[in-house]
Amino acid sequence: MMVDDRKTPCRYRPSMYIVLAFVLLACAVAIPSTAHALEVNEYRQFMDLDSRKVVWFLAQMHLFFGAFVLGVPIFAVIIEIVGWKSGDKKFDRLAYEFTSLLSVAYATTAAFGGLLAFALFTLYPTFMGYMAGLFKNVFFIYAIMFFGETFCLYLYYYGWEWLKGGGTFNRRIQWVLKGAGTVGLVFTVLFFLGGIGPEMRTDTRVFMTVLYFLPISAGLILIKDRKSVHIFIGILLNVFGTAIMQLANSWAGFMMSPAGVNERGDMVGTSWQVFENILATPIAIHRMLGNLAFGGFVAGAYAAIKFIGATTPEEKAHYDWMGYIANFVAIIGLIPLPFAGYYLGREVYSTSAVMGNNMMGGDFSWTFIIQAMLVGSLFLISNYYLWCGMTRIPGAERYYGYIKYILAAIVISFAIWLTPHNLPLTGREVSQMGGSQYHPTLKFLGLMPAKNAVVNLIILSTFFSFLLYRRGNKSERVPITQQGSLPRIVISIAGLVAVGIVGQYAIYLLGLDPKVLDLPVDRAHYFRTVGYLLLAECVMAVIAVGLTLRDRGILAQALYLGFTAFSVVVFLGVYGFVVMEKASPFLRNIAVSQFLQLISCIVLVTTIDIFLFRGAREIGSLRWGRMTVRSQYALLLLTIVITMNMGLMGFIRSGLRSDWHIFGIMRDTSMWSYTPSNYTMTQMVSLCVLLFLTGVAFMFWLSGIFSHKKEKEKEMEKAEYMEELYLKERERT
Amino acid sequence: MTEVVGKVFVFLLVVLVTFLWVGHAITRLTGGEKKATGSVEISPEGGEAIFWGKGRCFTCHSLGERGSAVRCPNLGVWGEKFPLPIGLRAVERAKERSEETGMEYTATDYLVESLANPSAYIVEGYKDEMAVVYAPPISLTLDEIKAVVSYLQSQGGDVDIEALNNPTEVSKKFYDRIKAASAAGGGDPGNGEMVFFESAGCNECHAIRGEGGRIGPDLSAIAKKGIKYISESILQPAASFTPGYETYTVIKKDGKEMYDEEGRKVSGVKVKETDEYVEIALDPESIVRIQKSEIKELVIDKNKSIMPEELIEALTVKEYQDLLAFLLLQKGEKD
Repeated sequence: MMVDDRKTPCRYRPSMYIVLAFVLLACAVAIPSTAHALEVNEYRQFMDLDSRKVVWFLAQMHLFFGAFVLGVPIFAVIIEIVGWKSGDKKFDRLAYEFTSLLSVAYATTAAFGGLLAFALFTLYPTFMGYMAGLFKNVFFIYAIMFFGETFCLYLYYYGWEWLKGGGTFNRRIQWVLKGAGTVGLVFTVLFFLGGIGPEMRTDTRVFMTVLYFLPISAGLILIKDRKSVHIFIGILLNVFGTAIMQLANSWAGFMMSPAGVNERGDMVGTSWQVFENILATPIAIHRMLGNLAFGGFVAGAYAAIKFIGATTPEEKAHYDWMGYIANFVAIIGLIPLPFAGYYLGREVYSTSAVMGNNMMGGDFSWTFIIQAMLVGSLFLISNYYLWCGMTRIPGAERYYGYIKYILAAIVISFAIWLTPHNLPLTGREVSQMGGSQYHPTLKFLGLMPAKNAVVNLIILSTFFSFLLYRRGNKSERVPITQQGSLPRIVISIAGLVAVGIVGQYAIYLLGLDPKVLDLPVDRAHYFRTVGYLLLAECVMAVIAVGLTLRDRGILAQALYLGFTAFSVVVFLGVYGFVVMEKASPFLRNIAVSQFLQLISCIVLVTTIDIFLFRGAREIGSLRWGRMTVRSQYALLLLTIVITMNMGLMGFIRSGLRSDWHIFGIMRDTSMWSYTPSNYTMTQMVSLCVLLFLTGVAFMFWLSGIFSHKKEKEKEMEKAEYMEELYLKERERT
Repeated sequence: MTEVVGKVFVFLLVVLVTFLWVGHAITRLTGGEKKATGSVEISPEGGEAIFWGKGRCFTCHSLGERGSAVRCPNLGVWGEKFPLPIGLRAVERAKERSEETGMEYTATDYLVESLANPSAYIVEGYKDEMAVVYAPPISLTLDEIKAVVSYLQSQGGDVDIEALNNPTEVSKKFYDRIKAASAAGGGDPGNGEMVFFESAGCNECHAIRGEGGRIGPDLSAIAKKGIKYISESILQPAASFTPGYETYTVIKKDGKEMYDEEGRKVSGVKVKETDEYVEIALDPESIVRIQKSEIKELVIDKNKSIMPEELIEALTVKEYQDLLAFLLLQKGEKD
């Protein structure tokens, strides 16, 4: 399909991305790849600017736009599937509207990517020469992926109308596609079990299974008409986008945890080992979830601005709904994000204890306090938005009373999360505290067990707010026993999933040998205690399923949610201190236990909730558009805060290498080889956030012009057509 | 719409200014902006620049009222716990160390030891958690460490650059340790010892000072062969063999290669030979005894070593550097 530039000024230029992919490749090939890692590095400057800050700025801008471009298609496709399955056209329109935001950002991402590549190759030639030599295979695959993503995006966006409507395909075509999908599923299972593919880390295997092979196989099986072909293209778009991100993350991961090379930087392993270094996948997982949350919040900001500026009730209703969906998607990404961060942090510690200590107790300890403030704000503001949303739900006033308790739980948790283990004190303050450098109470709140407990409580509180929101206007329910066999099947499966998630870890803990954690044999009972607690959680899941299937769903939810809250926050929160004292290495397993219980609880309680209120009588329909302007500023604030947080986290991740380009392999010998202060970080991040959000606003404006122009063209065409009809009619008569 | 965008822009600016204020306040609280340290001379001034900059000592140690870290001992005068600054404290500690080790420690020796091997003396109430300052990411050079020591000496004690440049036997050992680590790209010999004896299991075949297996060459004096040889032996075990540790393949009377009951080719190090039989070690746990009457000949396989080829794949770069640093300390001398 050709792009007519006369009709689409300043829009969509995926071809630009391809050109830039070639530029990147040309740079990679042109620079000799034999550079030795420990040679004296060459550094250059552009117009006397600080080269590090130039690269920092360009990389951050590229990542902001890239995160948006990768995050939005994920939920655009999901919303499109919802619309396709439910037959509700408004979901389809929303998915299209989200995709239209994406299109302009795509070209800008490419422009910043190209600039970043130029900056890196020209300002840091030794470093980039070395990287290009080592990653030459990955660079080529990376460039090829651009083709895939560009073509899919072309087809996905421009083919929206073209691939709409029409009947189902004939059975033969459907069977061929289903056959291909089934073969894909078999391949996926074999790959997941390790029967296919190179030797790799479990997290990489799971990542590739869940995000590449499973969606493609499932997508093929789903195809039955033109619309499902369009959805499949959307799935491919996401697969290519995720692959591009994973490939690029391998470079960032390599710089922190080099693999496949010796101490001189000579390659002694395989390209796969270099690519799949220790931190590559943990970074990719964290970034994937971050992109989803980020994409949701940015789309939410678009809806918020449109809502504030809307002049008609219809417009307000539409953008209110759009903002709600975007925020909902963002929260889905936000909830597991702290755990992905915890996992990444753990792997950083495993890579280098010095790097780990520097992260939490060194140069970046204060930066992490700022980060905790920002993440806590994200949860608090998301909840506030949900509570505001309850005002548009008739009947939700029944649940207003809970809000103050949820607020108290979140604020207290937030305060504990922010509490550092120790504070800078003067000599006098130390003597006032009895000579101790730690506050008698605060020192406990600053430790990991307390922080793990409150993070879980914040997430549970947010989930509880969501449950209240969902049931706001529901009254008389249809008993599950009267809903046919579907609830029995789905709730039982959800129960099995919950038991599976928690049970497998319980079995692992019950059989865990203390020697594995370098602990004496007599510490095994600490593992057993947590193992039995997880088994109890499994029993609670079974009871919850049983009660639900006997029409006691509310009781089931309360029991299961209550037990999980007690187990995760109270029991393991306190027990964590005991473990820390007696079996410290086991503390990380406690965090995993908390996470698994929480996830299984969310899965099962949400499933129960869906059927509990399925077909329930509504007190009144949702009054979309009846939202305060304050709530829209909350949406905007969410976007600003997550953008700042992304910049801050990038600073920490990159800064952990200290004065190494590639940790332990290639030293940074430039004049900028020092860790910038938090003030410098806030300056750089603020600049990037300001320019990014301004740029996004500009793009939204451009997108608005195009939509406006398109509507006018349609109106003109319609008018011309009517005039033609009129003239023909007149001629005839 | 323009008005809305204007309001949102102002809102954005307010949030960003708050963010900037937080960054500024924290930076002021933690001692201001740090800058890159160029090459430094061995002097208290040079050491101060490293202590508060590249060395990141300030992230764990404060110096009296300066700094905000409390993770590790304050090196200045600090309440009842630390009535003496580190320069004077070192004199007292040197006496303790002399009694503990039976070696004559000077204050300088104590300070050098506290940087080169911090686990040797842990101040009561603190953990053994100091980073290896001559390993990544800090990677101080020997001269930079000397500069830091001179800075610590200047905190109430006598600055003795002469003692730093002409080390005692005690300090010399630590200097060797730091030099070995630097040569190995900044490895940590302490961790390298763990890699050798635990994670990589090199000790299953090799011995150091009497500890370990006998299948591979004794490595107690391996440092004398130089970093290139050691590095090559780890990366390409079959590149060269220590005489007596070649890989033999057993050829049977029928001219074919011999295989054991598990179907493995009998090829390994000859660990014992009598008039009647030879013993070939395939790996540390499999030693095969073969009667000479069954053997046509023993052929040296120059392309194969029983040392695992994939060892380097199992090690991270850091573990490899640590191991190298540890091996570079094995000079055949007694502790």
